[in-house]
Amino acid sequence: MSETTSNKNDYGFLIDASRCIDCRACLVACSVENEVPMETTRIWIQETGVQGEFPNLARYSAPYHCMHCDDPSCVSACTVGALKKDDNGIVTYDQDRCIGCRYCMYACPFQVPNYEWKERLPLIVKCDMCVSRLGDGQSEPACSATCPTDAIIFGKKSDMLAEAHRRIDQSPSKYINHVYGETENGGTATFYVSPVPFEDLGFPAADESSPAYFNRLVTHGTPTVAGAVAVGLSSVYLTIKHHEEAMTQIAQNEHPAVPDETESAPQLAPMPQNKPDMPQEVEGQEA
Amino acid sequence: MLKKIIDEVKSLSVGYYILAVIAAAGLSVAAYRLYAGLGTTTNLSKAFPWGVWISFDLSTVAFSGGAFTLAALVYVFHLHELHSAVRPTVLAGLIGYSSVLLILFMDLGRWDRFYHFLIYPNLNSALFEVSWCIMLYSTILIYELSPVLLKNSRWSGAIKIIEKWTIPMVIAGVTLSTLHQSSLGTLFVVMSPRLDPLWHSMLLPVFFLISSLAAGLAMVISGAILSFWIFKRTLAENVLAELGWFIPWILGVYLVLKLGELEITDELHLLFTSGLHSTLYLTELGLLVIPIILFAMKRVRHSRGWSLTGAMFVLAGVVLNRFNASWFAIKPIAGEMYSPSWMEVAILIGVLATAVLAYSLVAHYFPLFEETVQVTRESKIQYPLPQSGD
Repeated sequence: MSETTSNKNDYGFLIDASRCIDCRACLVACSVENEVPMETTRIWIQETGVQGEFPNLARYSAPYHCMHCDDPSCVSACTVGALKKDDNGIVTYDQDRCIGCRYCMYACPFQVPNYEWKERLPLIVKCDMCVSRLGDGQSEPACSATCPTDAIIFGKKSDMLAEAHRRIDQSPSKYINHVYGETENGGTATFYVSPVPFEDLGFPAADESSPAYFNRLVTHGTPTVAGAVAVGLSSVYLTIKHHEEAMTQIAQNEHPAVPDETESAPQLAPMPQNKPDMPQEVEGQEA
Repeated sequence: MLKKIIDEVKSLSVGYYILAVIAAAGLSVAAYRLYAGLGTTTNLSKAFPWGVWISFDLSTVAFSGGAFTLAALVYVFHLHELHSAVRPTVLAGLIGYSSVLLILFMDLGRWDRFYHFLIYPNLNSALFEVSWCIMLYSTILIYELSPVLLKNSRWSGAIKIIEKWTIPMVIAGVTLSTLHQSSLGTLFVVMSPRLDPLWHSMLLPVFFLISSLAAGLAMVISGAILSFWIFKRTLAENVLAELGWFIPWILGVYLVLKLGELEITDELHLLFTSGLHSTLYLTELGLLVIPIILFAMKRVRHSRGWSLTGAMFVLAGVVLNRFNASWFAIKPIAGEMYSPSWMEVAILIGVLATAVLAYSLVAHYFPLFEETVQVTRESKIQYPLPQSGD
């Protein structure tokens, strides 16, 4: 169903909610690496709140950022193509193109893109897997490099998915049997394993197909619709015109002396003598 | 020359001054918004990145659909008797689109880069398509209106050449309108995770297109009746009646498609089980069923008061639909709701006042209503008052 299928070079994340200790070092690392203030880091924490009955209390958390979908809705939506999916499966954001229409924010099924609301000329805030860092020859993004418990790990997408399933298979009692991100929104490059259902962590329940696909179904029809409408209208115009001319011809042939009635040009509307329902407000105004 | 202009300005009625003051106030707030940024001036947030401005844009584009609907009826389908309504409607359409462009500009976080949609295309994006179509279509509306503007000027010779190309331009304009009216619906196709399933549908582009036909005609009808009071010019009764005749058919098809789609996707039960959203949807249906019944009656189509009432129901129904799709029926995140800030509303009011002012000034100085019916004192004296429109 997806136009952009994943390939062997794709990067991916594996995030394990059982390992996250909510230290927020990843947020700090993101802030430093991307030179953004702490309010607009590209990563944040989703958490369950305290669950259970005393003394068996538990609280789970997980870092959350762009899922880097296989077929991203934001890329489909972006008016100016500032959001793109690159050769490594990274959904990148071109700051210099963005016009700030915020369509991507509504299009994203994971509610990931944020906005620099405090800026005078704001931009979108979104994880790009530290693509410039990877380009500098470093092996992983700032968040996974910093994470003290390896709750975030980074590598080849296929390896990450395999590792996610290995963890669940190895400790089926520890994890729920669901790799979030594997089928969500038609597949993503970020995989989550968790001891608690993902809705407890506040993760949105995404469909198994990407809305981007349905969007393309419609937008790709545009040229066809445009052509059909233009051709249709032209033929209607010509048909009626031809018919009117033919009628004129017939009328002239049969009654050459009778003035032509069919070729009625735009007519002046009749004067208001025919209108019995004239409201009161017209009283005494200029002609 | 300057004195002449001052005298001219002085001769305008007080209504123009009031509009000018409101417009100036609103546009000053707009200037502040451009300076200060979206976060400090609006209530938009991560949960609701679009607000009342987008809802306004959607409604106004639907209303301005009158211009292409009428152009198609008159020029393509040769319904020449409706020709007298074309000029006022084209002007209304042009001014409607201009206010949409102004508000869209306000809505761009990076308004300094608004031209980027011209140089960085994303052919998958509904918003890209909408921007292009609105831009091209506004140009065509200017073209369609130019004979009115040039008529008494020294360039009136150009009118003949302009009118020679009217038909191809009209066909291009109707095609562009079909595209962007429907693309505004396409905008929400990709938003399926956020938009209530009562409104979300693969047929959204079709729904938006069809409802814009009804809204456009309703706008022509109510515009004609309102200008009867304001400019003392209006459309002949038979023209109004013929325009009204189309409305039950268009809305009928629209409602059958909408409910049929809900039935097919097995979402019909949501009509009664979605709480507030059900109420909103049923209100929308109700507002559009009433004008179907009204305009189906000959008596209504031939009465100004009743036609205006019917048209107002159509407009209310379509406005509610656009507000629902872009605001009221968007699922909140973590209970966060949106309501506009006073500055968002003030800018809207300012732009609306500017639009009304522009329309009035063009109507005042250019031969806009040449083919319409002039209302005179005699007509009032000669004919009895209506038995009221309600």
